[in-house]
Amino acid sequence: MDNWIKLPGCQHITGSKCDFFPLINFYEEIKFRVRAEEENSTSSWYYVDPFIPFQKARLGPPEVRLEAEDKAVIIYLFRPGKRDGTSIWDMDALSFEFSLVFWENSSHGEEQEIKTNFYISKMYDLSTETTYCLKAKARLSWKVSAYSPVYCINTTAEHKLLPPENVTFGARNQSYVLTWEYRDVNVTFRAQWLHAFSKLTPWDNSNEWKQIPNCENVRTTYCVFPQSVFQKKEYYFRVQASDGNDTSFWSKEKAVQTEMYSTILPPVVSMKSTNDSLHVFVKAPKKQFDTFTYEIILWENASHTERKLVSKRSDIIIPGLKPLTPYCIKARVLLQDKWNKTSVFSAVVCEKTKPGAAASIPWVIPVIVILLLAVIAFCVMKLLWKCFNYVFFPVFKPPCSIEHFSEQPFGNLLLSTSEEQTEKCFIIENTQSVIIVEEPEETDEDYRKYSSQSSQDSGNYSNEDESLGNQISEALLQLKPQALSCPGELVLGLSSLGLHSS
Amino acid sequence: MASWYILQIALLLSFTTSLSLSYDLLQLQQQQQRSSLACLKLLRQVKGKPENCHQDRIDFKFPEEILQPQQFQKEKAALVIQEMLQNVLGIFRKNISTTVWNETIVENLTDELHQQMDHLKSTILQERLEDKNMTMRDTMTTLRLKSYYWRISKYLRAKKNSICAWTVVQAELIRNFSIINRLTNYFQD
Repeated sequence: MDNWIKLPGCQHITGSKCDFFPLINFYEEIKFRVRAEEENSTSSWYYVDPFIPFQKARLGPPEVRLEAEDKAVIIYLFRPGKRDGTSIWDMDALSFEFSLVFWENSSHGEEQEIKTNFYISKMYDLSTETTYCLKAKARLSWKVSAYSPVYCINTTAEHKLLPPENVTFGARNQSYVLTWEYRDVNVTFRAQWLHAFSKLTPWDNSNEWKQIPNCENVRTTYCVFPQSVFQKKEYYFRVQASDGNDTSFWSKEKAVQTEMYSTILPPVVSMKSTNDSLHVFVKAPKKQFDTFTYEIILWENASHTERKLVSKRSDIIIPGLKPLTPYCIKARVLLQDKWNKTSVFSAVVCEKTKPGAAASIPWVIPVIVILLLAVIAFCVMKLLWKCFNYVFFPVFKPPCSIEHFSEQPFGNLLLSTSEEQTEKCFIIENTQSVIIVEEPEETDEDYRKYSSQSSQDSGNYSNEDESLGNQISEALLQLKPQALSCPGELVLGLSSLGLHSS
Repeated sequence: MASWYILQIALLLSFTTSLSLSYDLLQLQQQQQRSSLACLKLLRQVKGKPENCHQDRIDFKFPEEILQPQQFQKEKAALVIQEMLQNVLGIFRKNISTTVWNETIVENLTDELHQQMDHLKSTILQERLEDKNMTMRDTMTTLRLKSYYWRISKYLRAKKNSICAWTVVQAELIRNFSIINRLTNYFQD
């Protein structure tokens, strides 16, 4: 069930038309219904097709107000609709575009067509005491209004005091300088500024021109003010002369994009030396600019050959430098903007690179390392020697039960010498083999068990190829390793020879 | 034979131009996000800290189709962002109350929003503005957005720009900027 609301201003209408200005949501669909009433009887409702007011509304012409100077005319534009906050176009104030037609109201007045987004425009270089006329139309997206009625105005007689000319803007150190030209001497000047975006918004008290500090009643044809006052992107400036009694009209407005002029402070550079490289830290100047690129110049303190580096990062490592050499650097900011602005160079910072890696380590550590290595090498040599002796000069005693084993083949397996001739179950004392130790008899059992186990292991781990080495390992392990100081050593020795792994 | 070379050159050109274009888009995306951050910083500076504003809370009903993750072309995303920025600016212009907002803050916010709109107009929306054929769906999205901001404006007017009302709107506008940031992801379509 819809909640139908009575439309104020459209009740008990005698005609067939009514105007209404309710504060409704113009962007939502709206429904209307009308009925006729006569004393006590009413007709049925006629339902209007639902529509969105904003879409259906047509654009009226803009309003115009003209102001005349001696050689210029100021054009104030007002968007169509009421300006009391109830207009359907209230929320689109920034989207309006205006087309102006301006001409001199004489027989040979040619029309000038101007397209603008600004609510305030000024036509310069006109003749004095002449009538000029203007008509305007508004555009909002695809909606176009009709032309407004023609507005005309007369320019005034020539003003005694001329306005300043050739207003220019520049930067000097941390200040901006506004300069202008003026012929007479006995005048004071004042300069004003405006946010560029003010012209895009309907003209009211909030966007009026403001006085530049230190630029009021000045006798010079320039004024200087700090850059910090104008940190936004775009401004307009204008200057006016005064001789005490009379003031001139305003000069032509100078549009300024401060980014083009603003001085970028140099960065602050610091360095840390590490071995043969330098770690550079660049601290950006505090500013509103987004993308900084740094240019770093590096040179050896002695020579003057410079090396240039460009980096987007604020900490850079420069490798490949000579150790124990003093290097100096300076850096500046490169802005990647359309004016390719740069800052001045930072202060020069010098630092000596550290000595080479080898010399810098304290001598104690390498000595300790060498000692350790020597000890390890010695142990390894000892082991190898034991193995060597065991393999090539084997000392073994086969178990007494094994009778058909003769030492001879074992002895001749590797070296066909008869020096290894041994008899069963006796220990050969071989001077070369320092590992011969008499083991107590009770432990024989264990050794045998161990050896048999190991032999089983050796069977498991033996390679696919039936090499001689495997046969030897099996045979050797079946023997009582009494000739050796410990079974573990045997295993180790063998494994180092690659014959057996366990 | 010649046509093969021409094809190669054409491909190379299109590749490089698309590369350069996409680089600008990345920069634009980052720039928009930086701008949103700046705006958020400013928005948070409401004068005073009101306490009992719970009864003033209201759902302004942000258009659903923008909240739901769907494929937007970069032009549409830019258009939506443009409309949002414009309307946020409008709210500040129409309903500003110096008891709630510092003039400098409003000035800075206005400048930031204008700058961002300029940027979009001169990049992604450059061609859009000359093309008058906005699709029906785009129009509907714009209308729904305007409706949403109209509701915010009406609310502020009804509450006479009270600090509680502005606190509620502040929270809503902060949410707006996070939505804008999400939309910038569509710049890289």
